[in-house]
Amino acid sequence: MSGGPAVRVSIESSCEKQVQEVSLDGTETYVPPLSMSQNLAKLAQRIDFSQGSDSDEEGTEAESRELEWTKQEQEEDEGTVKFQPSLWPWDSVRNNLRSALTEMCVLHDVLSIVKEKKYMALDPVSQDPAVTKTPQVFQLISKKKSLATAAQILLKGAEKLSKSVAENQENRRQRDFNSELLRLRSQWKLRKVGDKILGDLSYRSAGSLFPHQGTFEVIKNTDIDLDKKIPEDHCPLNVQIPSDLEGSAYIKVSIQKQAPDIGDLGTVNLFRRQPKTKPGSQAWHLKLEAAQNVLLCKEIFAQLSREAVQIKSQIPHIVVKNQIISQPFPGLQLSISLCHSTGEKKNQRASPEKTKPDDHLYVLEHNLHQLIREFHKQTLSSVVMPHPASAPFGHKRLRLAGPMAYDKAEINALQQSEGLLEKIIKQAKHIFLRSRTARTIDSLASRIEDPQIQAHWSNINDVYESSVKVLITSQGYEQICKSIQLQLNIGVEQIRVVHRDGRVITLSHQEQELQDFLLSQMSQHQIHAVQQLAKVMGWHVLSFSNHVGHGPIESIGNASAITVASPNGEYAISVRNGPESGCKVLVQFPRSQAKDLPKSDVVQDAKWNYLRGLYKEVHWSRMEGKNFVYKMELLMAALTPCP
Amino acid sequence: MGVTCVCQVPILEGKSVQQTVDMLHKKLEQLGAVKQGSFFVDCETYHATSNASGKKRQPSKLLYVMHNSETPLSCLALFEGGPYLTADVNFDVLMVKLKSHFQNAKGHKVESRGTRYRYCDFLVKVGTVTMSSSARGISVEVEYCACVVPGDCWNLMKEFMQSFLGSNVPELPSVFAAKPEGLYAPVDCMDTMVQYLELFSKVRKQQVIPGASVR
Repeated sequence: MSGGPAVRVSIESSCEKQVQEVSLDGTETYVPPLSMSQNLAKLAQRIDFSQGSDSDEEGTEAESRELEWTKQEQEEDEGTVKFQPSLWPWDSVRNNLRSALTEMCVLHDVLSIVKEKKYMALDPVSQDPAVTKTPQVFQLISKKKSLATAAQILLKGAEKLSKSVAENQENRRQRDFNSELLRLRSQWKLRKVGDKILGDLSYRSAGSLFPHQGTFEVIKNTDIDLDKKIPEDHCPLNVQIPSDLEGSAYIKVSIQKQAPDIGDLGTVNLFRRQPKTKPGSQAWHLKLEAAQNVLLCKEIFAQLSREAVQIKSQIPHIVVKNQIISQPFPGLQLSISLCHSTGEKKNQRASPEKTKPDDHLYVLEHNLHQLIREFHKQTLSSVVMPHPASAPFGHKRLRLAGPMAYDKAEINALQQSEGLLEKIIKQAKHIFLRSRTARTIDSLASRIEDPQIQAHWSNINDVYESSVKVLITSQGYEQICKSIQLQLNIGVEQIRVVHRDGRVITLSHQEQELQDFLLSQMSQHQIHAVQQLAKVMGWHVLSFSNHVGHGPIESIGNASAITVASPNGEYAISVRNGPESGCKVLVQFPRSQAKDLPKSDVVQDAKWNYLRGLYKEVHWSRMEGKNFVYKMELLMAALTPCP
Repeated sequence: MGVTCVCQVPILEGKSVQQTVDMLHKKLEQLGAVKQGSFFVDCETYHATSNASGKKRQPSKLLYVMHNSETPLSCLALFEGGPYLTADVNFDVLMVKLKSHFQNAKGHKVESRGTRYRYCDFLVKVGTVTMSSSARGISVEVEYCACVVPGDCWNLMKEFMQSFLGSNVPELPSVFAAKPEGLYAPVDCMDTMVQYLELFSKVRKQQVIPGASVR
């Protein structure tokens, strides 16, 4: 600063701030240090322009220089003032000289300004107004200048601020990408190839042997327009999956009936899964999961079709395009198909599918997925898992084969493994057999009211075996007539019936066999019921046969018969019941009651009257009573004399 | 694995080994037995070297390592009179590693190879016993697969063997005679191998039949 003596340069250490206020708790509030421009403004305010010896008329460039000088001078002054006391001999001379120099400088400045005629003009006017006017002009100019500087500083600051905001946003996006990548990394296998980030979709690490690459690429999705508002669900990370894994896929297993008599399978119509965006889950996540599902479905199908070609069965499996067709039972077609739909096709497909009945076998579809995972696990444990170098690490029981000296047959039994297709066909057979058995029993139960059939299905089944307990009872007589209890073990190819007394009957998959068997059991039940009833009523069983060897031949099973005598032996009831011919009830009257008995010459003695007489058939359908056993009870009661 | 009986069939007068075997085959086929692949049983002998037997200089036992095609994943190691060991096939590799303790007697390898016949529950194996590529005799193994207690089926087996072996039917093998009577003592593959071992050592001791090389 080329200030004259009137300007006092304040010398104070910059580090010490002025205390503005001391609060009650002792904290001191400092006056914030002035910025350079503020400082300058403050200093400029102090200039007394009225003294007329100041020069401030340099350009803005000079001003910045001036600022620097001020600093330097401050330091210099500090040095001089502190360490050189102003008492040395030439002090006054120096001061005068210095003030003279300053005056000269100012004069020079003023002159130069006047010369430019831009800010100042020297007019020969009266002394007074000029004296008052000139400092005002100076003041105005200096104020203007300082305002301009302040504005400039403000503008600079604003620019900086806006820049930093933009930078922040950019940073945040970058950080978002990184955090998304981290999340992706925690769930998927990623690796860096060149400047790309590739991921692995395949189940290879889980033991899959499917040759598909299954790689996806991670794409940074940050170049969006800054001005536009970022959509809510925007994700800075995007994935690109191979084109053949796009869309959604599922394995469809269905059983079609070629003949209409096989009946409905009773499949449940589950809703189709829709790729619905769950809140909180990322787009890439859904995309990758869908792609992985497609890959798994493809693998299952590839495995199945390979097996379908390799396995030799009586009726060869057919592989056509994306469908495998097999015939588990005659007239029955199991089809496994791979449905892969990319987004666009979906709309076209939806319409024909709606019209068709949904014949998915969801259980089998689920089981297929389970089986392939089991298969993965097997390969994983035999190939990848750590194993001793000296020996293979196979099946546990196979490991024992050597030391336990297994012979060929045992080793064979250990080694044979079923393929996916064989297993699924077996499961399909079982499911079909089970549903058909249920249907047979239900239709019989609804068709025949007397006797009643009850079926108790077990809730927990094996995939290849389930069981049902069938009870044949008569309504109202459940306690006394429970002779027929059947346990039906439904397997893959056949149904094993275990009787209450331990007899085992094996039925084939044919529906008719089971139906016939149940019908014959029902007919036997009636006779058993009569036997039980006789016991309760005090009648005597004279004869009993499950399989009567005479009379009309039944087309199903055999007729059974029973004869019971009343407690006093006067009457006898004879019942014959066949599955087809129905029941026939005869009552034998005592000879004494028979009116139309021809008088014989031989048997005239009264004692012969105690012999049994003729049989008379009961019009069973006209008998009162709601069912067979009730009718029989009424008949027995009628024939029992009152005590 | 049923009850087995291994016996040696003497070579008929004036016939070669092969001719006798063929005759046995013929008899079995006449009975109605069905050919069902082939079989082999081999036996290698190992001497224990001096450093294996320790400080005391005991008369070292011989170790026999045998294989049977019936138990393809197993390797059996027997000392004469016991103990017996069943191991998996890696045992052979182990024996190579134990070279310094057990030395393989090269010339002593005996094996029996032949055809397997099945006749209902019976499995008959007629084999030619060879030692260093010369035929030494004929072994016949009869297995009754339906039973594991020797005492219960010995008479049946004996009767069956009579039908094609005639007078050469052996007595109850000594391994079975040692089994406790009345208790359930099932046979295992080791019983068969012990019988083979006895047969092989008998064959090893007998003189070389003049002019009886393999074909």
